Amino acid sequence: MAVFKRGYERYNGPLTGSATRFLAVPRFVWPKLLGQRFVVILLVLSLFWPLLCAGFVYVSNHADLLPSLGSGGDDGIRKMLSIDGKFFAIFMNVQSTFAILLAAIAGPGLIAPDLANNALPLYFARPLSRWSYIGARMMVLFGILSLVTLVPGLFVFIMQASLASTAWLQANWFLGQGMVLGFLLYIVMVSLIALTCSAYVKWRVVAGALVLAFFFVLAGASQIINQVLRVEWGSLLNPGYAIYAVWCALLGVEAAEDAPGAWESFTVLLLMLAALLAVLLRKLRPVEVVS
Amino acid sequence: MNQIWIIAKLEMRRAFFSRRALWVYLLALFPAVLFFGHGISVQYRRSEYAGKPVTPAAVLDRIPVGTPDTEVLATAGQPITDRKWRRRDLDRRSLQYFDGSNRIWLEFENGALKSRNRRTLNSFDEDSKVYAGVFQFFYLRLAVFFGCLGIFINLFRGEMIDKSLHYWFLAPVRREILLLGKYCAGLIASAVIFGGGALLSFSALLSYQSSADLQGYLQTDAFYHGTWYILSAMLGCVGYGSVFLAAGLLLRNPIIPALVMLLWESINGFLPELLQKLSVLHYLQSICPVAPPLDPNVPPLMRMILAPAAPTSAWAAILGLLAVTALVLYAASRTVRRLEINYGTE
Amino acid sequence: MSDDQILFHNVSKFYGDVLGVNKVDLRIPPGITSLVGPNGSGKTTLMNLMTGLVHPGSGSISVRGVSPFAPEKLMRIVGYATQYDAAPRGVTGFGFVLAGLLLHGFPRAEAERRAALAIETVALTHASSRKIAAYSKGMRQRIRLAQAIAHEPEVLVLDEPLNGLDPLVRAETIALFRDYAARGRHVILSSHVLQEVDVFSDQVILIANGMIVAEGEIRNVRDEIHEHPSQFLLHCQQPSRVAALLFEQAEVLAVKIDPEGRGVLVTTRHRDAFAAAVQRIALSGIEIDGVLPMDENVDALYEYLIGGGK
Ligand SMILES: Nc1ncnc2c1ncn2[C@@H]1O[C@H](COP(=O)(O)OP(=O)(O)OP(=O)(O)O)[C@@H](O)[C@H]1O
Ligand SMILES: [Mg+2]
Repeated sequence: MAVFKRGYERYNGPLTGSATRFLAVPRFVWPKLLGQRFVVILLVLSLFWPLLCAGFVYVSNHADLLPSLGSGGDDGIRKMLSIDGKFFAIFMNVQSTFAILLAAIAGPGLIAPDLANNALPLYFARPLSRWSYIGARMMVLFGILSLVTLVPGLFVFIMQASLASTAWLQANWFLGQGMVLGFLLYIVMVSLIALTCSAYVKWRVVAGALVLAFFFVLAGASQIINQVLRVEWGSLLNPGYAIYAVWCALLGVEAAEDAPGAWESFTVLLLMLAALLAVLLRKLRPVEVVS
Repeated sequence: MNQIWIIAKLEMRRAFFSRRALWVYLLALFPAVLFFGHGISVQYRRSEYAGKPVTPAAVLDRIPVGTPDTEVLATAGQPITDRKWRRRDLDRRSLQYFDGSNRIWLEFENGALKSRNRRTLNSFDEDSKVYAGVFQFFYLRLAVFFGCLGIFINLFRGEMIDKSLHYWFLAPVRREILLLGKYCAGLIASAVIFGGGALLSFSALLSYQSSADLQGYLQTDAFYHGTWYILSAMLGCVGYGSVFLAAGLLLRNPIIPALVMLLWESINGFLPELLQKLSVLHYLQSICPVAPPLDPNVPPLMRMILAPAAPTSAWAAILGLLAVTALVLYAASRTVRRLEINYGTE
Repeated sequence: MSDDQILFHNVSKFYGDVLGVNKVDLRIPPGITSLVGPNGSGKTTLMNLMTGLVHPGSGSISVRGVSPFAPEKLMRIVGYATQYDAAPRGVTGFGFVLAGLLLHGFPRAEAERRAALAIETVALTHASSRKIAAYSKGMRQRIRLAQAIAHEPEVLVLDEPLNGLDPLVRAETIALFRDYAARGRHVILSSHVLQEVDVFSDQVILIANGMIVAEGEIRNVRDEIHEHPSQFLLHCQQPSRVAALLFEQAEVLAVKIDPEGRGVLVTTRHRDAFAAAVQRIALSGIEIDGVLPMDENVDALYEYLIGGGK
């Protein structure tokens, strides 16, 4: 019997909006990632420092309650306890380490298996473009990395804002803004690195090593450039340093004196992102369906 | 024996000439390139300063701190460079002089002499310290580590991912022989690449030193130091290689132990002495001929905790490494005997 | 232990919880043996067990007197072309076959001669210097066959060797199997399609769900299960009428109109009673052109055994 005679009909029901459709991809990956033991361990570990910082925020806002400080309080201690750009810079620096480890574990599984098993045509045979594929993969990392960066960062900031006076918030509004911008840039960078490594080697395991190597080896290489050539610009090659310089500028913290500044760092970061994106797109190109 | 060699020959071709090997070469040659680059710049600077006006060092040393810049210019004469800038509400100025072999910077704040910096055009002593640092902190800890990770994981885990391991298992070869053959291939490849890298960078270091320094060094320690540097790079391949080969064989995702090992090796300096001896790096550092200066980035507080374990004597270190390697290889050979082809679960 | 047979003694293999094969007892004499079964029935598992690529959970295996745990001895007499459609990275067809031979310990010149010969046998000489990665599916299949036969093994194990071959090459490959069998060697191959192998196999092993369902020469296999229903094809002009009449007979289990329109397919337990019934129908004036036992043609047997008795 012909198919149409059996009352076959095209699906006419409601469809999800085309703008959010790519979210279908990360939706299935998140629960899987959160089921991994190592990921959970890392997430838990990454909570300690924000909690410590939250405790610090609490103490600094209740400094008067501390008996040793008495009523007037010591100016030096007060200064040490103040919540300023430096506080957030240190906070971000610690959390960023967890982000790298998480990306090294979660990132490689995102593209490498698709390439190794020739699954990309399956994606591109559906109404999904290369960009939205990358976007979807990036969403996965964005979600998981926010858990250790943006979310605890905002938590600490909001806690401070609610405990401190409105005057503090007005004067330090830029701290929250800088932190969010800084973390966003960082997340984009880390996830792009992880995705590119994943697409570059096609092997999940090796991709993880590559992500680690990327950070460690570049950091080491930048240091030996500085030492052997007796220069300072080597630091620019270290993405960890470069992003820190940008953060310091965003948070209004004085950076180290004789090291490359924020603008140079930012330019180098942008160049690096562009290069990574180019590699990523090239690796994904040959199988894309022209639409 | 013959079979080991046949296997090693087949494998080595891949280890040396695949596209991935390019990255390993890059890691191994990076320090050599840097030192060559530095050599060129030192030579360029020498020829550049050969024609610069000379101010006797004694004249400069006699100028007391606090002297105004105009007075300094009058006594010392025209500087080679003169830089002025403003920072933190202070007017700064830096005058550079040359005394024939040293460059001397006089730093001013608000027009008064604040400090003096002296740097030779090139100091062999300093360079050999830098080399020791580069060798231990970059070459052994990062380059050899990741290079061996790449090469040795490829041997078994890589073939499982490529679904081509069964071709080896279908050869009339004992599994243990296969393991040894593959290990030898990885070892030869990595030892040649990283030993060669060490040799190249060491000769790059020597290539631009002044002839007096070079003569002295060649007549005393050069040969001894060079040999031990190359040897410790190769021994690094032996140790890391066996660990990563076994990790690739035993574990589905060898990245996690690699990560753990990387962290372990880098916090190793802070551990009690006994634990320090459980690291490949410790033995390698014991073999290195020149102790590097402490990592300048270590904060002072941590520097106090950092108590390097007394280096093991060179021969004990070598024997220790070889013993660990043998043990790891033995465990790996037990595993490979029972290994099954199971590509489905990758 | 007989030294020219392949013996499985009570062999079981589980992949975690998944059954690979279960309690297999086999005795395979030299000649062409075909393993036939549907997807996931355990053919590959059986072959991997035989060649030591996986190890049995229990039981023992011996291939011409050699244990699969001793690859250095076993692989001298075994050539195995697996179903894994992968080749080592970046090798040429010739390099691939040559590498296998070098591992066998042949001197270089001899290895090159044999490699060229094996590649010629599978008619790939023109492509032998190209990278395997650039081969078509059938060419990859053939180069793996070449590697398996290059050292003239006494036991040739081939997983789905006829897949993706064109008719000409297929005929040549089958001739190769026959040649091997004629020299007293083992050729063990697997297939999903019985018609493909029943013509040239000396024996078949039917396997389903990890268990050996039947084994032996095609005729003997039929006898082995003689207590089971057998199927006949009745050639006739009025299939529906015949079907209706047959359906009333107690000894008939099932009646089906042949989808190809040749007549009626009948399943019965009692051949003699069935023959009598057919005679009665023919005498009643309905024309019956002939009765064909379907299970001589192994296909029906296969459909019965594997298809769950439909
Ligand atoms: N590596 C493995 N891990 C888990 N289960 C496996 C593995 N290999 C095979 N199996 C299971 O063992 C059973 C037998 O598989 P096998 O590959 O032997 O089947 P087959 O007869 O060769 O099938 P096909 O005709 O599709 O090649 C199947 O149920 C399969 O799912
Ligand atoms: Mg199979």
